[in-house]
Amino acid sequence: MQSNSNIIRYKSEDFPGIVEKALDIEEIQLSNGMHAVFYKTDKIPSVCLNTIYHVGAKDDGEKSGIAHLFEHLMFEGSPNVPHGKFDSILHNLGGESNAYTSWDVTSYYITVPSNSLEIAMWLDSDRLAGFGITKEMLEIQKGVVSEERNYIIENTPYGSVEDESSLRLFKNSGYRNSILGNISLLKKLTPDDIRNHYDKYYAPNNAVIALAGSFDIEHAKKLVEKYYGGIPVGKPFTRNEFNEYDIKEEIKDTIYDNIQLPAKFIYYRVPAQGTKDYYALQILSSILSKGESSLLNKKLVYDLSLANEVDTSVTGMEQTSIFGVSAISLKGRNLDIIGAAIDETMDEIHSGNIKDEEIEKVKNKIETRTAFKKSSIVTLAENLSFDKLIFGDAGRINTEIFNFLSITKQDIIEAANKYLNKNQRVVLDYLPK
Amino acid sequence: MIAEKLDRSIRPLPGAPKDIKFPGYFETTLPNGITVIVIKDEKFPIVSSRFVFKAGAFLDGDNFGISSFTSEMLTKGTANKSALEIAELIDYHGAFLSSGCDFDATFVSCYSLKKYFEKIFDITSEVILQPAFSDDEINRLREQKINSIISYKDEGDYLAARVFKKNVYAKLPYSKPLDGTEDTVSNFNRNDINNFYNSYYKPDNLIIAFVGDISEAQAVKLVEEKFGQFSGNYIYNGNIEEEKINETKKVYIVNKSGAVQSSLKVGHLAFKRNIPDYIPASVMNTLLGGSFTSRINKNLREVNGFTYGARSYFDWKKHSGDFAVETEVGNSFTAPAVKEILFEVDKMRNELVSDEELTSVKNYLAGNFPLQLETPNAIASKVISLKIYDIDNDYYNTYISKVNDVTKQDINDAAVKYLHPEKMTIAIGGNPEAIKDDMKQFGDVEVLEGID
Repeated sequence: MQSNSNIIRYKSEDFPGIVEKALDIEEIQLSNGMHAVFYKTDKIPSVCLNTIYHVGAKDDGEKSGIAHLFEHLMFEGSPNVPHGKFDSILHNLGGESNAYTSWDVTSYYITVPSNSLEIAMWLDSDRLAGFGITKEMLEIQKGVVSEERNYIIENTPYGSVEDESSLRLFKNSGYRNSILGNISLLKKLTPDDIRNHYDKYYAPNNAVIALAGSFDIEHAKKLVEKYYGGIPVGKPFTRNEFNEYDIKEEIKDTIYDNIQLPAKFIYYRVPAQGTKDYYALQILSSILSKGESSLLNKKLVYDLSLANEVDTSVTGMEQTSIFGVSAISLKGRNLDIIGAAIDETMDEIHSGNIKDEEIEKVKNKIETRTAFKKSSIVTLAENLSFDKLIFGDAGRINTEIFNFLSITKQDIIEAANKYLNKNQRVVLDYLPK
Repeated sequence: MIAEKLDRSIRPLPGAPKDIKFPGYFETTLPNGITVIVIKDEKFPIVSSRFVFKAGAFLDGDNFGISSFTSEMLTKGTANKSALEIAELIDYHGAFLSSGCDFDATFVSCYSLKKYFEKIFDITSEVILQPAFSDDEINRLREQKINSIISYKDEGDYLAARVFKKNVYAKLPYSKPLDGTEDTVSNFNRNDINNFYNSYYKPDNLIIAFVGDISEAQAVKLVEEKFGQFSGNYIYNGNIEEEKINETKKVYIVNKSGAVQSSLKVGHLAFKRNIPDYIPASVMNTLLGGSFTSRINKNLREVNGFTYGARSYFDWKKHSGDFAVETEVGNSFTAPAVKEILFEVDKMRNELVSDEELTSVKNYLAGNFPLQLETPNAIASKVISLKIYDIDNDYYNTYISKVNDVTKQDINDAAVKYLHPEKMTIAIGGNPEAIKDDMKQFGDVEVLEGID
């Protein structure tokens, strides 16, 4: 867990006007170091089990794409669950499972009818308790991942932009890595590489489990102890420090893709998820592009008819984040003119020209969004385990809204002036081949 | 806590299952024909409302895309408010408003925090009842639509779907592009939009569903206040002709420049949603390609590594439907993948499924059902779909017991009746040079440089 002193933590007492019903969350820690988080809600007779591991693409090192490839392999077989049986056993119970890999984490979920919770734990814990991946499974999944990469990146308009931008934003850290990996390097991964990845990162003290849904909490605690308690502690290892150079001059490139409409993408490196600047920039992103009356939408799409779509985003990560601006042009428009229009809006922000009502409007939106975030057991379990793993605080689901609401206009202006300058950015122009 | 060592080779048994019932909801019809539905949920202080006119792109006539265009114009200004004023009001309250359509219905949805809902409902009512359809906004939307159509054509799966639908649905309106073509959209004018709006947006084909923290009485009161004076009748005079299934296999490849994968859509004409053996046909499809553990995904992904995923479905519409297997495979896997797809479809027709598969698919559909009822909005979608397709209100109450009644023979009967491997249209968005020779083994190959 990280002890980043920049992480901000507000409580509901600081915001007496907002009525937020806190979720009742319980936690335990097993003797092998594994944390478990529980949240009971009886709306439907189903339960979601999420297990998250503190390993992602930023830890890939020379083994390009290994964290994500490993995510695929976790469904292939374990000592007591033969090849192909994980999904068919689950299916036979009415269950479902899936997983994702980011730069920071690998996260797995299973949903089952509540009466099958113990079987879900048996399935999930067996792959943490013992290794069962063969060379044959590895080779098949290399093929699947190669088609996944084709589907998401190579064959999709603008699909390469995440990889292209990370390469230019980061020089030393693992955030430079492509999550899906470089296929020619991925194809060289050996069964030993896979085993080493498993031995190093797949340990109870590098994981958090969360349950959300309809179940008895005391019984579930006993089950967690039974299925995960006996798994031995993993060996300690040192994580790579985040050590990046500062971007001092704009990095600009043109990329030719199979597209009809040219597009402009702008990226800035900004502070990690959970910091005050991160929340300030999230609010700024909303002011810029969420809703038809947002600043960039109004200007580029509506008033000037330059873009077909415009968007901004803050991709929050453990050690850093990325602030992105994208604009897909209308046919025949010039990308330099689009870039200049975006710059004009950003200059207004830098000089402090933000209306108070713009901030009010985002705060209303965040209240609505927070409620939706709590309405699915899959999302709840995912958030609980993630917050415990990365922030050491599963209760964050109840308090994160206050981190947003505490942001002032001054915070936004300061963050923009500190991080969103022209000489700190990567600009990618996508043009038709 | 646990003294004895755990024997992991023993798979635990499930406990007693908990019952799941489709939640009750409120429904009433007002004197002018509007159906009001309320699905109450006080868990979060949010209310949404969804307006559905049972009229969509099926009614476009020769003006392909006019239904979609009209529906999107609703939020672009009213008699009293400009497009930007509407957007600003919605955004200021942290609310949401959008409109659109498919072939069988037009949708307008809005949601907001409970404290702002009356205001948001008011704006939404105004966009539905008093749209301005101003020339400025028509021209603005026209350019955006045309650009969207241009960018869809960069996507292999869009190209495959277009050539598939064009050939499978032939003369039926479902064969046309939902958003129209660059040509049709270029020629829309205010009259076309007004005509569509005045002909098909009527109270007796309107459903208004409320979801969330709102009482039945309050919902009905809101509708009576805003829509009490809304009058007229929906009339459709067109003929709905039956289309016939194509008799032979044929391959269409639409060129997607630089494609490293083929986007595949393999299938044929099927049936409308409201048929008596819908459930056996759905159960059959779940086994064939309707879930991650289905035969087709297992074959193409887990055994062969041809693809990231493959699926099959019946796209049931109000007056017709289609069956298709859909996947994206590397260029060199295109012909082998088609061969495996045809093999699996054939096998489903020629052999009974195993006892194990039958039990498993029933458990899956029953166990998965609660997850589809998790949010009040998901429940609302299900209720609304019953109305659009004229299905019994009782459908979801009896769904699990009907699934449980399905036999191996029922599944085979559905496969024989609804799957026709020898009549497949094999549609591809991809790289013709890389694949066309290999595809000749399946039938005539037609290469197209583009498609509307």
